[in-house]
Amino acid sequence: MLKVENLDKTFRTGAGDVHAVRDVSFEAKDGELVAIIGASGSGKSTLLSLLGLLDAPDKGSIDLDGIELANLDSPGRTQFRSRQVGFVFQQFNLIPNLSARENVKLALEFAHWPKNDRDARAHEMLNLVGLDASKADRRPAKLSGGEQQRVAIARAFAAQPQLILADEPTGSLDKATGQKIVELLRKVANTQKATVLVVTHDEKIAKKADRRLEIDDGILKEIT
Amino acid sequence: MNAVRRGIRNAFRNSMRTVGVVVILAVAIALSISMLIARDAVTNKINTVKASTGTTVSVSPKGFFGFNGGGTPLSMTTIDALLNLPNVTAVQESFSEELSSSKTSLTSPTPAGQLGSQFGNGGGFGASGSTTFVIPVRVIGTNSPGNAVVGGANGGGTEKLTSGVAFSPTSTADVAIVGSTLAAKNNLKVGSTFTAWNTKITVVGIFNAGSTFTDASVLMPLATVQKLADAPNEVTSATVIVNTIGNVSSVDTAVTKALGSSADVTSTQATTEAALSPLNSVKTISTYTLIGSVIGAAIILLLSMLMIVRERRREVGVLKALGAPNRSINSQFIAESTTFTILGAIVGFVVGIAISSPITSALVSASGGSTSSNTGGFVRRAGGFAPGGSGFSPPTGAFANRGSGAFHFGGFSNTITQIHTSAGWSTLFFALIAAVVIAALGSTVAAATIVRIRPAEVLRSE
Ligand SMILES: Nc1ncnc2c1ncn2[C@@H]1O[C@H](COP(=O)(O)OP(=O)(O)OP(=O)(O)O)[C@@H](O)[C@H]1O
Ligand SMILES: [Mg+2]
Repeated sequence: MLKVENLDKTFRTGAGDVHAVRDVSFEAKDGELVAIIGASGSGKSTLLSLLGLLDAPDKGSIDLDGIELANLDSPGRTQFRSRQVGFVFQQFNLIPNLSARENVKLALEFAHWPKNDRDARAHEMLNLVGLDASKADRRPAKLSGGEQQRVAIARAFAAQPQLILADEPTGSLDKATGQKIVELLRKVANTQKATVLVVTHDEKIAKKADRRLEIDDGILKEIT
Repeated sequence: MNAVRRGIRNAFRNSMRTVGVVVILAVAIALSISMLIARDAVTNKINTVKASTGTTVSVSPKGFFGFNGGGTPLSMTTIDALLNLPNVTAVQESFSEELSSSKTSLTSPTPAGQLGSQFGNGGGFGASGSTTFVIPVRVIGTNSPGNAVVGGANGGGTEKLTSGVAFSPTSTADVAIVGSTLAAKNNLKVGSTFTAWNTKITVVGIFNAGSTFTDASVLMPLATVQKLADAPNEVTSATVIVNTIGNVSSVDTAVTKALGSSADVTSTQATTEAALSPLNSVKTISTYTLIGSVIGAAIILLLSMLMIVRERRREVGVLKALGAPNRSINSQFIAESTTFTILGAIVGFVVGIAISSPITSALVSASGGSTSSNTGGFVRRAGGFAPGGSGFSPPTGAFANRGSGAFHFGGFSNTITQIHTSAGWSTLFFALIAAVVIAALGSTVAAATIVRIRPAEVLRSE
């Protein structure tokens, strides 16, 4: 259960302050797939970075299963990220000189997953996202965009995090592949009982979500 | 796969860059290794030369060139006082006299014709009016038998007793140890006697110093010779023994000050220093090049790592987003820079050793012009004693020492550029330390950059 209250973030730049996230409050249940839509520059990525503890909010609270995260220090945020947060990016962001399997195992390593179980877990995850076993030892450059995003999803879910944050995961894929990826996200969210927040521009994708939130100039509203 | 293994793997990610970085590092490390070896070799050479110079300061009366060369003998009281100077461990004193056939029963083994033709004309010690030149016999009174002819005329060696015993340094007895050729010429054995200054002297030992001149002379206790020659408290030469090489120049100064204008004070040290100055400048050059190349290698690696970190900025952000602690990311980059350094060090070590010998020779011979001129000057000075003295000057303690210094050094000059280079464990150890320092420096700046990368950046499209 994710409970966000009065989250606020302002970037101070030479050209003036940018109030990117304004007093955002919402809740999301375990296993729920929530779509976040909004115009470019509306604050979607900033919100995800706050929720994923990549950045600290100026104000507000982030409560995950009863644990307050907004006030963690930098090492505390790092540790929490390694175990409880998974990211999926538009650019896939796999490590280029590691194989698909090794990319998944990287997340397990940072989460201090038992050493002897990492291989089996990586295998299980790649299987779950539907990556051909013969492609598990390929480097990202030798995989299609869809396959890379599957590997990224396997990596994001590998350490069984509570929260998955996907920033335009279908943005670099064709429509059909994008659909498959969202379906995959929903399937894995269900099996793992994780909360998944997906930022997207695509209405069709957004419609596949359990709920839709819209952000406009840093202000978040539920779309009913 | 842990951070270290990832780092090593990353070192080979871009093979062109790997080769480039490793080659540049190898050149810098090879340069520093060869400089280190050159420096070691030159330092060794300097130390060997200094050690062979000896720790002595020679004292002789002002203007004294051989026994007949003039100058007022030194006062023994003054010379004895030198023992009280700091760092002086012993003072060897001698009083020498040339005994002509009227003063001794001994006959010199040296053929008169040979030396007479060379020195006799200038000297005043042939029988006056006689066309037959008779070589006198040299008697050296010494308080240090066994070291009296250190160096000898041929540039080395101490007299060795071939039979009998030496007299004690403080003996006042009418005894002598006789040079081997002189003994043979006069049929002397241990127990034989001869006369000198109208006194019967007993032979207690026969010595061999391996030098024609020295082996034609007689060693007697200092006190005995002073008494017989009616020259109490007189010394014609002294050798001050200094405790360590490092103190020779200070003792030289102190002795000069103590004796004032009455004596010539020489240590071969000063001359050696002058001759060694090109070697010292090679040492300085190699030290600076060594430091420079290590710093150069560090800068090369540092910039390469900085470039690599910047290039992988996004990747670092991803690692952070995945929950990698800074420590883990840093060790990954340290492993990468260490891999570059180790590869560079291995190649550089091999190349460095290979080029160290030619580099050392080149360095030494580049500054070698001054080396030979220095040596030449010194040799000329030694040669200068022939016209300076008014005649044949057989070696005395003091003169032998001066002569030996010159002669020895003259010989040495041929080998001053023959420097032996070698690489030992210390070189390897240095290479290792240098590599670690370079890798550490290279990674530190990278680490500082890594810490400043915000993981939130990965959410921004490029
Ligand atoms: N690190 C930063 N420093 C300064 N301003 C920032 C920073 N990050 C984001 N912003 C600003 O905050 C606002 C929200 O940016 P954000 O990246 O969250 O938008 P977005 O909704 O993700 O847009 P897009 O759909 O284009 O990705 C923008 O005006 C942006 O310029
Ligand atoms: Mg965005």
